[in-house]
Amino acid sequence: MENRLRVLRAARSWSQQDLAERIEVSRQSVNAIETGKYDPSLPLAFRIAELFDMPIEEIFVSPSRRSSKAI
Amino acid sequence: MLAAKTSDFTPAQRAHTRRVLLLLLAYAVILPPLVWVRAHRQVSDLVALLMAIAASLPVLGMFASWGRYLSDERDEYHQALTLKRIAIATNATMGAAVVWGFLQAFGVMPLIEAYWIPTIWVVIQGTFGIIELFARRGREG
Repeated sequence: MENRLRVLRAARSWSQQDLAERIEVSRQSVNAIETGKYDPSLPLAFRIAELFDMPIEEIFVSPSRRSSKAI
Repeated sequence: MLAAKTSDFTPAQRAHTRRVLLLLLAYAVILPPLVWVRAHRQVSDLVALLMAIAASLPVLGMFASWGRYLSDERDEYHQALTLKRIAIATNATMGAAVVWGFLQAFGVMPLIEAYWIPTIWVVIQGTFGIIELFARRGREG
């Protein structure tokens, strides 16, 4: 799933490890989410959204919305 | 804090690795004398049964450790990777066991000891784990 995690993290000058510690996961998890190799669970997506104080849909791109835009 | 600062491994992974290494050590200590006794001494059925159970215990402990790991792991990404590895290893091992069973039934292949089945499972699981680790390091540079 596409997301803006890398951009949001970079805007705060956080490393992947910094973000990982804030949302209580491993650095590998952050990397996998940022690169779209892993889709976080809803609870983790909420933790991320709360950390950045943004709605989930402003961080993660809905796959269905993305495909409907492409059409 | 759940994530380790510098390690590639989560606390649950480190605990699982420690348990498995201890169990492998126990296996290496227990197995040779049991094999020697079986080869050189006549033992009663009861003693043979106890020897077989003693040889199995470290391996059973390893499977229990995997279960404990899945329960302890707080990092959902690593938990998902492990579940995927377990599914792949289980499917491949069960598939191989079925094919070998029929090959054996039709006289094409010799009989093999049943304990090779979990051994193959562990090898496949471990191999995928190592491949994943190097692939991830390659992606992350």
